Amino acid sequence: MKQTLTLLTGLLLIAMPATAEETTGLTEDMIKIGVMAPFSGNAASYSKAEIGLMAYYDKINDEGGVNGRKLVAVQEDTACDPAKGLAAAKKLIFQDEVFMLHGNSCSGVALAIRPVIEEAGLPWVIAHAASDSISDPLAANIFHGLPTGSANGRAMAQFVLSRPDTKRVAIIEHSNDWAHSYSDPARAYLKEQGIEPVADQTMERGQTDATAQILTLREAKPDFIIAALYEAETAIFLRDLKKYGMSDIPVMGTAGTDLENTLIRVGDLETVKNYFVIHSYIDSLNGDKLKPWGDMITKYYPDEQLSTFSFASLGSAVAVVEALKNAGRDLTRSGFIAEMEKIDNLDTGILSDPMTFTHDDHQGVKGSAVAGFVDGEPTVLRAWGERY
Amino acid sequence: MFLQLSISGLSQGAIYALVALSLTVVYRSTTIVNFGHGDFVMAGAFVSYVLTVMLGIAFLPAALLSVIALFLLGLCFSRGLIRPIRGGPHIGFALMCIAVGFVMRGIARIVWGREVLPMPSVFDMPPIFIGNLIITGDAVFIIGTTAVLLVIFFAVLALTDIGKMVQAVYQSQRGAQLIGINVDRFNDITWGVGAALGAVGGILIAPVSLLHPDIGASFLLKGFAAMTLGGFGSLHGAVIGALMLGVAEQYAGAYINSALIDITAYLVIVIVLLVRPHGLFGRKAVVKV
Amino acid sequence: MMPTQSQLRLRTVLFWLLPVVLLAVPLLVNPYIQFIINSILIYALITLGFNFVIGNLGQLAFANTAFFGIGAYASAIGATSLGLPWLATIPLAGIAGAIGGFLASGAALRGIRFYYLAIITLAFGELMRWLYVHAKSVTGGTDGLSLPRETFLGYSLTDDRVKFYIFLVITVLLFKATLNLLRSQVGRSIMAVRENEVATASLGIPTSRIIVIGFMWSGFVVGCAGSLFALHTSYVFPESFGMLHLIVSFAMVLVGGLGSVLGAVLGAAALTVLPEYLRSFPGMEELFFGLIVIAVLLVLPQGLASLLRRVSPIFIERYYRE
Repeated sequence: MKQTLTLLTGLLLIAMPATAEETTGLTEDMIKIGVMAPFSGNAASYSKAEIGLMAYYDKINDEGGVNGRKLVAVQEDTACDPAKGLAAAKKLIFQDEVFMLHGNSCSGVALAIRPVIEEAGLPWVIAHAASDSISDPLAANIFHGLPTGSANGRAMAQFVLSRPDTKRVAIIEHSNDWAHSYSDPARAYLKEQGIEPVADQTMERGQTDATAQILTLREAKPDFIIAALYEAETAIFLRDLKKYGMSDIPVMGTAGTDLENTLIRVGDLETVKNYFVIHSYIDSLNGDKLKPWGDMITKYYPDEQLSTFSFASLGSAVAVVEALKNAGRDLTRSGFIAEMEKIDNLDTGILSDPMTFTHDDHQGVKGSAVAGFVDGEPTVLRAWGERY
Repeated sequence: MFLQLSISGLSQGAIYALVALSLTVVYRSTTIVNFGHGDFVMAGAFVSYVLTVMLGIAFLPAALLSVIALFLLGLCFSRGLIRPIRGGPHIGFALMCIAVGFVMRGIARIVWGREVLPMPSVFDMPPIFIGNLIITGDAVFIIGTTAVLLVIFFAVLALTDIGKMVQAVYQSQRGAQLIGINVDRFNDITWGVGAALGAVGGILIAPVSLLHPDIGASFLLKGFAAMTLGGFGSLHGAVIGALMLGVAEQYAGAYINSALIDITAYLVIVIVLLVRPHGLFGRKAVVKV
Repeated sequence: MMPTQSQLRLRTVLFWLLPVVLLAVPLLVNPYIQFIINSILIYALITLGFNFVIGNLGQLAFANTAFFGIGAYASAIGATSLGLPWLATIPLAGIAGAIGGFLASGAALRGIRFYYLAIITLAFGELMRWLYVHAKSVTGGTDGLSLPRETFLGYSLTDDRVKFYIFLVITVLLFKATLNLLRSQVGRSIMAVRENEVATASLGIPTSRIIVIGFMWSGFVVGCAGSLFALHTSYVFPESFGMLHLIVSFAMVLVGGLGSVLGAVLGAAALTVLPEYLRSFPGMEELFFGLIVIAVLLVLPQGLASLLRRVSPIFIERYYRE
């Protein structure tokens, strides 16, 4: 009888769902952090962001760690697929039993795994995925460590309208959620200012020619074009614009491209001189203030080619380490969350806008700067003609 | 605008023509449809990238080397992986082709992983202006090269002894064997030619399109659509179908909705197969029981 | 060599014993492993359905992913816009899949065969995906649809263990139904059509009708799998139903064994578990996947099921071509 009872209790205990233990993933000298990213698949270039944050962990570890503990990143590949991402999240939470999660570049995956993470209760700091719905409605344990899609979309539209006499705005985008996460808030902002787009075009990923779209745009005579396109398609679009003599029309890109790489891709300055991108950093990618960050990534990942993605998650990494440090040696999950919520106007040393979390608002960064070519050099701008 | 779209359409269509032709060449002699062909196209582009950008070889020799490399790849593929499974279910071939495509894509991804690669532009030729019409250096190069290749191809087929031999095998494998043609070796070479032609397509589109391991997939579907429109198994049908598809995409995109460009190929496939399955120039494909 | 009577009886016992044994699984594994096991069940159904058309009916049709997507979206739309409890959406999804099967079979009926059929059904799948993206008001477009959290008899449907029990029941039922179908007159006609359509027609069997039934059953099974998938990820989203999914399903059929019902389970299990083991090598998956498929094609063309058959005659079925 006693044996049966013990057996039953044992089975019951095994069968109980893993409760969010306060110190799971912690040992005397180690903090296990789950880092999910599309390390493989057609979105693999996004995982540069997670490479960046892991380089930051390496740097902190070299400086002695956080209160005597090293940061150990447990990487899992999501391949930008929700089913795979779910498996990755569950593995990190229930099998690897990490202390917290920090990562994710693909919004589709993040949205799919949000319910699981919310229920499991461990802290999750989003490093790169921009969709607002990941952190809104509020979840106690989820933090957005970079400007969200709506912040970026609005920044794009704001910049566009900061150019004098801009009334006719056209939009070209991919028909996926990534593009919509920028274009929908941009449209909303434009509407608030009383402006309806004069043209709405679609260009799909993988298209090697934008003639049809550009000819239609030409008819619409826009003052400014908002382009929510990936790197490759942006280059094709800009090249085709030049081909049809339209490269005097300024084009506003997203946070998914950067000026330096686009210039390399199209091969000449004339094509990109009127291209602007969301640039949430305090300096241009080759600028003095970003150089130490770039060097840091190169130090730990020498084969990594830097792009705007590489720096995207560093702000969130600074915040994470800050909160871990402040939570002290007696680190717990709720302690970490409490410290995150105390972050107020933190200057991360890389993001163009400060980071603030409160108990009721976990979207930390509300604004973003823009970058454009000034005298042939990529320069960070606050508004049309106004340097950062 | 109409003419402009037509030029762009022809330029796109030229690439589709190479893809469709290479698929048809293989299909005609082996009755296998290479479902992994898109990745052969990608491989051609990648090999030429490695040669031009990483080894500093000039474009033309690099392109030539790449074509030769892909020819050998196709040959080995046929010898090593297709011949052994000839006894199995026909759809085993389809999966073998897909699997090899995957392997090539996997290798490309491991080596180039997170990067999306720019290819240097081939011609820095300024565009030609004819009235309102703009023809870029790229378009000239693509259409020109493809046209030349096609002329050579069809000339060889119709006029030379080798071409006669090819036609013989296409018409009847058994008959060809009876007159002493080594059909097995022929098929290997056919695979090589198919891969090489596909590689040319990849090399032509790479400077325009930017390279990443997944560019193959869309070319495959476009190739199928072109073959379907032109008539499955018809060589000149593949070319004509491809050009028509390229142009149709542009018109649909400009005059109806830019969202349609992506699915024009699928719509073509569905409509053609339901209305006139043998396409424009194909043989009867319908099996009535 | 066919199994003996006593071996056949043993097989029936094993068929029903296995699920009973599996009932204990949730008590032994963590939610991650449970999630993977649930994936295997879903893929077993997908493979079963796909196998039905290409293995048993012998038609090279790639509409499987389309059926899967149709079922998943039907279920998600049912649960969100129509407010139905998820369980009620399962038959809905199955019926939607069957309708998809009917449409796909239309091409086969017009005499389209082999590669043409493969390509038109491929195109059908991609068109459906375009539809999911562009019919925003119904399908949520690229944002996808998120399933509401429900409970069933007091148990939360977001719990992977609860999902397992439900999935297990449905999987067993659909497998049994498929086996029954294959053993019936209709089933034999289906396989006869595969062997030689003209000869079958000459026996007076309405081959066109048989083909439609074959496609519709496949659509039904895979549609149901779609609704399970919708609950499994609680989020339905167009990207999941593209070419990659098709290729994976195709590989599962071939690795398991073309035409074999047992093979459906083996192929699904092998190719679901394998990518998880390869997690430590991101990016190498495609390479490994391709290499394994090549290896199976060269060395074991009849799939894993044929391996088991060599072990014991119990595993011999009559549903595939030797």
